[in-house]
Amino acid sequence: MELELGQARQTFITESQELLQEMESALLTLEADPACQDAINSLFRSAHTIKGSSGVLGIETVEKFTHHVENLLSKMREGEILACKENIDLLLQCRDHISTLTALAADGIEVLTPEIEASGAALAARLGQWLAAPVEKKEEKQAKPPESRHEGPSSATDAWHISIRFGQDVLRSGMDPVSFISYLSKMGEVVSITTLFDSMPQASDMDPESCYLGFEIDLRSDFDKAAIEGVFEFVREDAVIHILPPFSRVASYVELIQGLPEDMLLLGEILVKGGALTKAELEEALRRQQDAEGGQEKHRIGEMLVAGGSLHPEIVDAALDKQKKNQSIAGREASTVRIDAAKLDALVDLVGELVISGANIDQHSQRMSDAALQESASVMLRLVEEIRESTMKIRMVPIGETFSRFRRVVRDISRELGKDMDLVISGGDTELDKTVIEKIGDPLMHLVRNSADHGVEGPEERRAAGKDPKGTIRLNACHDAGSIIIEVSDDGKGLNKEKITAKAVAAGLIQPGQQLTDQEVFRLIFEPGFSTAEAVTKFSGRGVGMDVVKRNIEALRGTIDIDSAPGKGTTVRIRLPLTMAIIDGFMVGVGGSPYIIPLDMVMECVELPASEKSAADRRSYINLRGAVLPFVRLREFFAESGERTGHENIVIVQYGGTRIGLVVDELFGEVQTVIKSLGRVYREIKGISGATILGNGQVALILDVPRLMQAVEASLLAMSA
Amino acid sequence: MAKNVMVVDDSASIRQVMSLTLAKAGYDVTEACDGADALGKLTGQKVNLIVCDVNMPNMDGISFLKSLKDKPGYKFTPVIMLTTESQESKKQEGKAAGAKAWVVKPFKPEQMLEAVSKLILP
Repeated sequence: MELELGQARQTFITESQELLQEMESALLTLEADPACQDAINSLFRSAHTIKGSSGVLGIETVEKFTHHVENLLSKMREGEILACKENIDLLLQCRDHISTLTALAADGIEVLTPEIEASGAALAARLGQWLAAPVEKKEEKQAKPPESRHEGPSSATDAWHISIRFGQDVLRSGMDPVSFISYLSKMGEVVSITTLFDSMPQASDMDPESCYLGFEIDLRSDFDKAAIEGVFEFVREDAVIHILPPFSRVASYVELIQGLPEDMLLLGEILVKGGALTKAELEEALRRQQDAEGGQEKHRIGEMLVAGGSLHPEIVDAALDKQKKNQSIAGREASTVRIDAAKLDALVDLVGELVISGANIDQHSQRMSDAALQESASVMLRLVEEIRESTMKIRMVPIGETFSRFRRVVRDISRELGKDMDLVISGGDTELDKTVIEKIGDPLMHLVRNSADHGVEGPEERRAAGKDPKGTIRLNACHDAGSIIIEVSDDGKGLNKEKITAKAVAAGLIQPGQQLTDQEVFRLIFEPGFSTAEAVTKFSGRGVGMDVVKRNIEALRGTIDIDSAPGKGTTVRIRLPLTMAIIDGFMVGVGGSPYIIPLDMVMECVELPASEKSAADRRSYINLRGAVLPFVRLREFFAESGERTGHENIVIVQYGGTRIGLVVDELFGEVQTVIKSLGRVYREIKGISGATILGNGQVALILDVPRLMQAVEASLLAMSA
Repeated sequence: MAKNVMVVDDSASIRQVMSLTLAKAGYDVTEACDGADALGKLTGQKVNLIVCDVNMPNMDGISFLKSLKDKPGYKFTPVIMLTTESQESKKQEGKAAGAKAWVVKPFKPEQMLEAVSKLILP
């Protein structure tokens, strides 16, 4: 029993962390839009759940405090207390307090320290003040009759409103506008009809063969929109037609839309399915949208439809709600399975072994040259590869959640320092290996803090520099050729090269007068103990950040770069490998030993031409289709023994915009490579990132191309110096 | 006076079905078996609307449509073209020649009647 309760406690801790996260984002949403009822509901739900489960588990500290919070939230939910800056601020602090309390509970501490006790009491007292304060009802909101929004072109009658402008060619095509209107009366009762002459020219300019008429028609009919539109089927191309449903239908459309199945994610699709929009109208709107995209402005389809008079805004709102709900359902369904990370790791390990033994079987079957066996082996190999891919995908998690954590960070810093800034997140659905996500959080936190604290200036300074007083920090993630790039950028003052150089000289990192490229200067800030900020603030500036960031990123086999322009801002770019455990490799042979090059870096393979050979012996570059390609002989680099074979091949690899050639003896081709890391002893070896076991049990080393490039660059520089 | 609809189709059975349906709805009907026949029959009477097949021997629907526009008194006569779903290129050709109304084969008699009555009432 004791054990079960312990497990339940563990579940409570994880659960409450998620709920607290939800509370935080709900509070931030509420801060942006104090009227957002969804956010208030979600807040209340979260607090309520935390209170409930902590009560069941007997975690009194959490239960008691959350109860106060819940009281305030309940009043807010009822609309008795309106959300405002002050109470949101208070609630954020309360959230943090709950977080502290659950963290303590996780460690089994039930007796609070006096400070925590005091801060809890203070918060509870402030909550109490809110509850006791005179009740400010949101009367205006309720007093407003809901019907008042229903003001449209045909609000007077409860009929379909058809607005049609015939094109000039209608008569010439043998169409008679009157016949369509006569036909309309078959579908229902034409309540009113107004003929519009506004496009009719002067009699002298009038072409008797052209049609200049427009009509506004109110039609009472039980047919649906598609049927009514069908009347004008033959003039659709030559006329502009908008059909607005009667208001009594708005509610039924909204209902229909809400009742739709939950697998639809496109707004247009939802509207058409709900019957509020016809296919032709949607196609027309989509075409207009596409045309408009050529220009700068991108119009939203819903806005366009309302502006075009095809739909009531209420219907679009309902459809948008539905879309949001569907999306969140889709999102939630995707994340429902919870697996112990250790189990997943074990699975990945096993798949790794499976890949190796699969390769082994493949080799045997090749040797036995039994066609049937080879066939079976190749089928099995394909399946193994698919298993490998799906297993890897299980481990992939979108980075969005990690990103959105920083909203709070940026908000807190801007409050504290009196700055005004936005956090813009893009590429949140980019997926990364779970282990990478876990380990990238802290480095990113440092970078975001740095940007918010040192990068973005205060509003006055920004105004003086002619910039928008509101600063922007961007977080972006995207895929790029087998790796993932995460960017943290700000539009602040940029890095100060002089300051960095001076500081580096003072710290003895470089010699005075040493010439460095911009990149090299920026890279200095990753040196241990480096910080140029004059004052250490609460958030950053202690100079322990950047070197730790770099170390963390490198531990993930990633790299980090900085771009910065004075007055324009700074961009920190982190490049990470897609997966941690298994990669597609390209196997080559050097002096009898196999080496693996990560396949996504291999651009092409060429034979070292005999004509170049003698020249290539003297210098370390060749002429590749008119471009200079530096190369390195792996045989020499790794001091492999054995005779040089007759012809050599060059594998051209690219990394971060640089290409070099690797001269090898043999090309073996593609292999699936399970990365086994090397022990600490081999950490200092340049150019090797790990090892793998081949199908025949042989060990192959995996080349670390970025490091190899650096090493080659350094040795070339040394040679030329 | 009832409106006169001409149906042009090389299939006698289709002509018959269309004639019956239209006549029942109160239209006068003139039948023609191809484009050339239709052009001949247009002279000497007033036809208010033409329902015309695309694929016909002698003179097909598209050429008929083109000739029709040049015939005195018929410049503005509405024409409904009959086509099969697969004849997208024919449809483009027909549009270029000025056809606006289409009914896709195979159609039910009511569908054809509906299309006709959208353009003219009996």
